[in-house]
Amino acid sequence: MTATGMMGPPLLRIRGLSKVFADIPVLDRVDLDVARGEVVMVIGPSGAGKSTLLRCINRIETPTTGEVVLDGINMAGTIRGGRLVSDSPSETARKRQRIGMVFQRFNLFAHLSALDNVAIGPHRVLRIARAEARNQAASHLDRVRLSAHMTKRPAQLSGGQQQRVAIARALAMSPTLMLFDEPTSALDPELVGEVLTVIRDLARDGMTMLVVTHEMTFARDVGTRLLFMDGGRVVEDRTPSAFFDQPESDRARAFLRRMNERQTVAAD
Amino acid sequence: MNPFDWNVVWYAIPYLAAGAVVTLELSALGMLFGTTVGVVAGLLSLSDYRLLRGIVRAYVYFVRGTPALVQVFLVYFAMPQLGLELSAFWSGVVALSFNAGGFIAEIVRSGLQSIDAGQTEAAKSIGMTNRQAILFILLPQSLRRITPPLTNEVITLVKSSSLLSVISISELTRSAQAIIAAKFTPFELYAELAVFYLVIISILAKASEYIERRLA
Repeated sequence: MTATGMMGPPLLRIRGLSKVFADIPVLDRVDLDVARGEVVMVIGPSGAGKSTLLRCINRIETPTTGEVVLDGINMAGTIRGGRLVSDSPSETARKRQRIGMVFQRFNLFAHLSALDNVAIGPHRVLRIARAEARNQAASHLDRVRLSAHMTKRPAQLSGGQQQRVAIARALAMSPTLMLFDEPTSALDPELVGEVLTVIRDLARDGMTMLVVTHEMTFARDVGTRLLFMDGGRVVEDRTPSAFFDQPESDRARAFLRRMNERQTVAAD
Repeated sequence: MNPFDWNVVWYAIPYLAAGAVVTLELSALGMLFGTTVGVVAGLLSLSDYRLLRGIVRAYVYFVRGTPALVQVFLVYFAMPQLGLELSAFWSGVVALSFNAGGFIAEIVRSGLQSIDAGQTEAAKSIGMTNRQAILFILLPQSLRRITPPLTNEVITLVKSSSLLSVISISELTRSAQAIIAAKFTPFELYAELAVFYLVIISILAKASEYIERRLA
């Protein structure tokens, strides 16, 4: 049923996930299983529901209907006596710790240094002692090659550096799943590469992730699986090479043609 | 027309100075309790719990929708009915704090809400609860934005303390009125009273400028 073929229960299981804004279904009955270690690239035109899919997975947006189960744990509630009892807000927060998220606009905590941006989650949420949390944060920043900038505030960092701090901040919580919501769309072109390299390294290390992106070459090279979304639905779900070489749907073909035109214009 | 009586101006200085001390005491206590009430209420106005948000909203609605003078009388006459025998001075402190708290709650709430929604989303994404996001992410960032309207509110509070003359607290305004009653020199005394308030508030404004610079 998936392009890669899976064994055992999926890490992430999504059934009938919908989000309706003002009577418009932005996300429309999405079903999806993701196995451990899969790198799922999500592409599609704007308004396709890609970001909403990610935001409904970690419940930053509350889905209208549907079910998200991560590693056997239902994100919406707990089964008691055969029925689903909704979680309290703090219970939802606790479950959300296991899903890292990286935003288009970085969203680093503006009042904290790079180091404290990474350390604050482990310190305040996981209640690790501050000194220990900072030690760990330093090694996470080292992993995204930012050891030289630990004491700087977000405003003193370039977009690419900010986004790498944001990735380190998410990794510091030891997530089982990472969500990337257009991580390079707000970056100057020359800074895109350094962020994609970090994501590629993470993929190589076996992190399970969903990546919404407009970087087609990156999607093809790094993804193990590709979802094409349009109108709130998953229209194609295949390997990246199969998709790019032979898109099945008219909508995907039209989308790829537009992306090509854009790149051709940019090259001129 | 009577000539301006400078003698009564000099005569009044020690009395007004004593009144100014009471005004400063009332203001300092009102500031302390009012800020405490206001910050707590402002934080609660973003609570996950509807009941808490409702209580804060009702409180702010009442404070904003009734004259401060009416609030002063209400506190002064209502507290004994509730079995709380307070002196006029402490009734005044309660009234000032109650009034300032409502306005400060709004200042804090709008300061917190002015922070980019992405900050809250990022806080949630690393598993913070609403309470943690407010305390560790939103509040520290909103302090600088809260400071200017907050110092404004402190200045309003000092001026509002003159209302407490109506419940026979011998603060600055009532001290002036007492001399007017004895000497029949309203113009001289009200002019002098205005200067006293101006001096107090100028000092406060300087202090708040200094604090804003430090936070910037």
